[in-house]
Amino acid sequence: MRNQNDSSFADLDWSMVIIYFLLVGLGITNIYSSVYDPEHPALFDQITQHGKQITWLGISLFLGITIMFLETSFIKKYAYWFYWVTIVLLVAVLFTPPVNGARAWFGIGAFGIQPAEFAKIGVALALAKYLSTTDHLRSRGLQIKFSLLPGITFTRMPLPALLMLIIPALLILAQPDAGTFIIFTSFILVLYREGYAGNILLFLIIAVIIAVITLVVADSSFMIPGLKIKLSGKTGIVLSLVTLSIIFYFLIRSVVLPRNRPPLYRALIGSLIVAVIFVNFIEIGYSKILMSHQKERIDLVLGKIDDPDGKGYNINRAKAAIGSGGFFGKGYMKATLANENQGHVPMQSTDFIFCTWSEEWGFIGSFSLVLIYTFLLIKMIVIAERQRSDFTRIFAYCVTGIFFYHFMINVGMAIGLAPVIGIPLPFFSYGGSSMMSFSILYFILLKLDAERKVVLQ
Amino acid sequence: MKNMDNRKYVIALMVLLVSLIFTVRLFYMQVIDDKWKDRAAEISENKVITQPARGVVYDRNNEKLISNVVYYDLRVVPNQARNIDSVSLVKLLDISMEEYVKKMNAARKYSKRKPSDLVTQIPPDEFSLIAPELYKYPGVFEIERTLRVYPKKCGAHVLGYMNEVNANDIEKNNYYKSGDFIGRMGIERYYEEVLRGQRGVKYYLQNAIGVETERYENGKYDTLAVQGKSITLGLDWELQAYGERLMQNKLGCVVAIEPSSGEILAMVSSPAYDPNLLVGRRLGENYSILEKDTLLPLFNRAASATYPPGSTFKLIMALVALQEGVITPESSFPCNKGLVGCHNHPTAGSVSDAVKMSCNPYFYAITKRIIHQGKSPNGFKDAAIGQDIWHDYVESFGIGTDLHVDFPGLSRGFVPNTAFYNDLYNQFGWQFETIYSNSIGQGEVLVTSIEMANVVAIIANRGYYYYPHFIREIEGQKAPEIYHQKNYTKVDSQWFAPIVDGMWRVVHEPNGTGSRARLDSIAVCGKTGTAENFKRINGVNHQMTDHSIFSAFAPMDKPQIAIYVYLENSGFGGTWAAPLASLMIEKYITGEISDTTKENRILNANLIPDASDILPPKQPKKRNR
Ligand SMILES: [Zn+2]
Repeated sequence: MRNQNDSSFADLDWSMVIIYFLLVGLGITNIYSSVYDPEHPALFDQITQHGKQITWLGISLFLGITIMFLETSFIKKYAYWFYWVTIVLLVAVLFTPPVNGARAWFGIGAFGIQPAEFAKIGVALALAKYLSTTDHLRSRGLQIKFSLLPGITFTRMPLPALLMLIIPALLILAQPDAGTFIIFTSFILVLYREGYAGNILLFLIIAVIIAVITLVVADSSFMIPGLKIKLSGKTGIVLSLVTLSIIFYFLIRSVVLPRNRPPLYRALIGSLIVAVIFVNFIEIGYSKILMSHQKERIDLVLGKIDDPDGKGYNINRAKAAIGSGGFFGKGYMKATLANENQGHVPMQSTDFIFCTWSEEWGFIGSFSLVLIYTFLLIKMIVIAERQRSDFTRIFAYCVTGIFFYHFMINVGMAIGLAPVIGIPLPFFSYGGSSMMSFSILYFILLKLDAERKVVLQ
Repeated sequence: MKNMDNRKYVIALMVLLVSLIFTVRLFYMQVIDDKWKDRAAEISENKVITQPARGVVYDRNNEKLISNVVYYDLRVVPNQARNIDSVSLVKLLDISMEEYVKKMNAARKYSKRKPSDLVTQIPPDEFSLIAPELYKYPGVFEIERTLRVYPKKCGAHVLGYMNEVNANDIEKNNYYKSGDFIGRMGIERYYEEVLRGQRGVKYYLQNAIGVETERYENGKYDTLAVQGKSITLGLDWELQAYGERLMQNKLGCVVAIEPSSGEILAMVSSPAYDPNLLVGRRLGENYSILEKDTLLPLFNRAASATYPPGSTFKLIMALVALQEGVITPESSFPCNKGLVGCHNHPTAGSVSDAVKMSCNPYFYAITKRIIHQGKSPNGFKDAAIGQDIWHDYVESFGIGTDLHVDFPGLSRGFVPNTAFYNDLYNQFGWQFETIYSNSIGQGEVLVTSIEMANVVAIIANRGYYYYPHFIREIEGQKAPEIYHQKNYTKVDSQWFAPIVDGMWRVVHEPNGTGSRARLDSIAVCGKTGTAENFKRINGVNHQMTDHSIFSAFAPMDKPQIAIYVYLENSGFGGTWAAPLASLMIEKYITGEISDTTKENRILNANLIPDASDILPPKQPKKRNR
């Protein structure tokens, strides 16, 4: 190990270390309550999930300390290597026998490893390396330009970076593991921050809003107040879009200088046309092409149908558990739904871990946890932005994106705002692979951040 | 490349926005909206109900009239019963395949993981054959339930029966939940709340497959079941059973009262049925058979039928006339068959004679004196005054009034007053000659058998009565106070002696009308009655065979029993009702029957008229008063 005056530890962000132990500590106590078995009450009992989780924490800390003593240059140098190793593992895992219908696990005794969890690290490192070097500038010819109408550039993407994402994402989808696959879309945030993917974020958000509204009103119709005219839901949306465009037209006319207006008008008309086509596309797809059971799944998320003991079982039990927590909660070890012995909430120690927490600690607890994650995410953005090294900044945004997605989807699913996608809550859900992969990401970030001052020396 | 630094704010804003949405949503779900708390309770809590044992009913000699017996319900959990041999199960349970398939489909529809009823109310003897085979059918198991049993197999009309509550019961009383049983008719119904007790509730936490795991909040909200109270009736089951035996193959009823307490000793309505028929899974089937029977076995003639009292009513006429001073005990009236028909007999020289010979013209004459007392020179106005005097006297004997009997579905008799006849014939459009039939217990006056039994008890007591009642004790506590108070008629005690004398002579003197009621060891006082009755067929009134009636009490001094026997369409009162009454009296007082010839004559008599002759009992009717 090279002696570099140990400045790496001097600049270590100790608040991040505290958050790490806070989340891991709360996570393990919560798992303890969630799966408590009177025959195995010991915290460290390796038969129990909390016991195993402590072991995983030990391994993770070992890995984390190892990372802290690595050289930054080593991490950068072997970023692509690490990426390829994870790709090989992702290919290899497809040849293992399936567990619960997915070829996602390498079993080692009682413990299992999910290569998909580590693929996130590989992609984050490779993406940071590719975008921070001049490589991507040389590959300008490889950029793809998405244009919808002449004059409106939708977005530009560096093709190699895109492939870097798509290859592991498709391999994971082949397992199949839709949850982790969706996490890969979080890298769009990184591309966005790095100047690519222009308005894609905005467009995506608008598209999702329009799609949701279209799906909600797809089968309905309404009366115009005062008039005896009945309109379909779709017509209503189209009329609203037209009204919105007219409002924007007058806004442009009154605010923007005349010479700057024509491209904006073109953009407005273009957007309107695209939006109307999109609405029709969604509506026809939903009512004509989708099979009834696929429709049901969408209707369930949108709350159009309620099947509390059938298709909506998981989410119904999860919401009941959280809702029944009330303001102060039922108290530690007092969950009556999100508890393994009662078994009402499925996967209550992994995907639905938020339920046990919220049922036992009430709104006070759930709000506090949301605050902790929010603080962590904002803190990560701050860390990213204080880097002089592009590599570290890009890697920090990768970590931010991954954590943000996990938080958003896991909690959103438990409270019925997102469809049921099985992904863990970072440091909280039971699971060795996720504990290790989140820890590795976290400690690499800490290591890189701790050397933010020495990097350019 | 443009400066992309502002994009960090967009990303930070996205994070904050998501957190804000989550916070608002969590606050709404956990603090504002109670929907999820209710849902959580529905999912995780289970209410286990303990039904208390229903109170046992005893007779006056502490013999069990109603008690409880364990029956079995077979239940099925569809998911566990997927591979059972349905053909052999159907055979074992003695049900049809269609019924089995129907039940299983309903069970699956309700829940695949929770149990549903397969066959309910299997009596213990049948279950003992099923139980050893049950292990072959996983997912099918039994639960116990208690049902009523009527060990004496008699008194169905008195005791009533139980069946499942209907929507109406649940609406009327929120204690009842679907599937509960409730007392119908009789004592089971009247003392429902006493016998029922109070169910207990225990709250448990249940897991996802519906298994109870622990007490909810350590039982903070649990309530204990309160046992139903046992009650003791004044009924004498042996007398009741004997009465039902004697009344076999006869239509009508018998009511016996202990005059010194007002306790009802027996209440027989015939045809009767075994109360155990209306228990268990054959209840519905048996009920509909009984319901379709043209002899109306489910109809309680003793409590609900109103009949013309016939000559037994004359006793009241004599008492009223004496009290009003319109006659003396020695008054004599000729047997003038021009006024009203009579049989051949010596002239009645006193009230006692008249009772003994039941002379119709005599009672015509004395009732005329009650109605026409000369209080107005106008005969019509005089009758209007007199009729109300008469009416008030008759009502003071309890007829047509609320006798506070602890029994549901009681009818009341009818005593016409002036207003009633004014409605019928216009004001001052009638006088005694118009309504004279009342004097011999025909005409508009109607009675119930309980009322008339009570009238006999009044005579036995020489002027007062206790409200007739079944209850004797409620778990060691005395019957309510209302049953311990004496109620006096408007006739003074002194006027009863000649009537009692006449009633003794009815039974004991050679040309008395009720000599078949005579007993060697007991002084029976009685009065025969024979009521004409008509049946309307195609708009024409056809006269039917008379009802045979007998009122009696015994012994003459210190009476122990007052009895009223009413046999529909059986002829002269002295022929059938009188001996039947005497058998009941002897049975009650001595416990045995001395004259088996008399007993066999009654037991073997079939007095049920041909189907075309049957006069349905008068159902209670609303009348203007
Ligand atoms: Zn005569």
